[in-house]
Amino acid sequence: MGFIPDQGKSLPPPAVANRNSVWLAGVGWCSAMLHNAINHRPPLKSGVHRQFLMATIGWFIGYHLTKYENYTFARLDRDMNEYIRLHPEEFAPKEKKTFAEIVEPFHPVR
Amino acid sequence: MTFNRLLYRAALVSKVTSRSVFTSSKPDTANPNWVRVSLAFGTSAFLWGLLFKQHSTDVQEYKVRNGLE
Repeated sequence: MGFIPDQGKSLPPPAVANRNSVWLAGVGWCSAMLHNAINHRPPLKSGVHRQFLMATIGWFIGYHLTKYENYTFARLDRDMNEYIRLHPEEFAPKEKKTFAEIVEPFHPVR
Repeated sequence: MTFNRLLYRAALVSKVTSRSVFTSSKPDTANPNWVRVSLAFGTSAFLWGLLFKQHSTDVQEYKVRNGLE
């Protein structure tokens, strides 16, 4: 959950519902239920306010994590493409040989 | 043994009794602590509001920077 620098702000932001949010909300919810269970309380029915709060915190962190993840991958992709553009000699297309040219003549031994 | 006897005497003499971590009342599950409940729900509502605000700001920023609005 780091700060996104200025160049990252032109990326499309993630939707409010995204994978990291859902997962971390689940983690928060399960941790609240575990807390209930450890203290001999009914896990699902007790402390709904705690469960909701932990799930909310997880969802919030997940959104910012997704934003940072998108920025990181965009930056890596941009750097990689820039490198490929500046070093075309390392990325020359290989000449393709047909299978007929590679394959050795077949002499069956029967 | 005499050492223990000396310690007993010290406890009798000392006016400060030992402190214990055990509370005297059981947690009351029948009456919820409404302050804590309202704080929890209030914080959740605040965080959701913050999230939606941040999201709309991000969408607006994206549109402005890419010339869509």
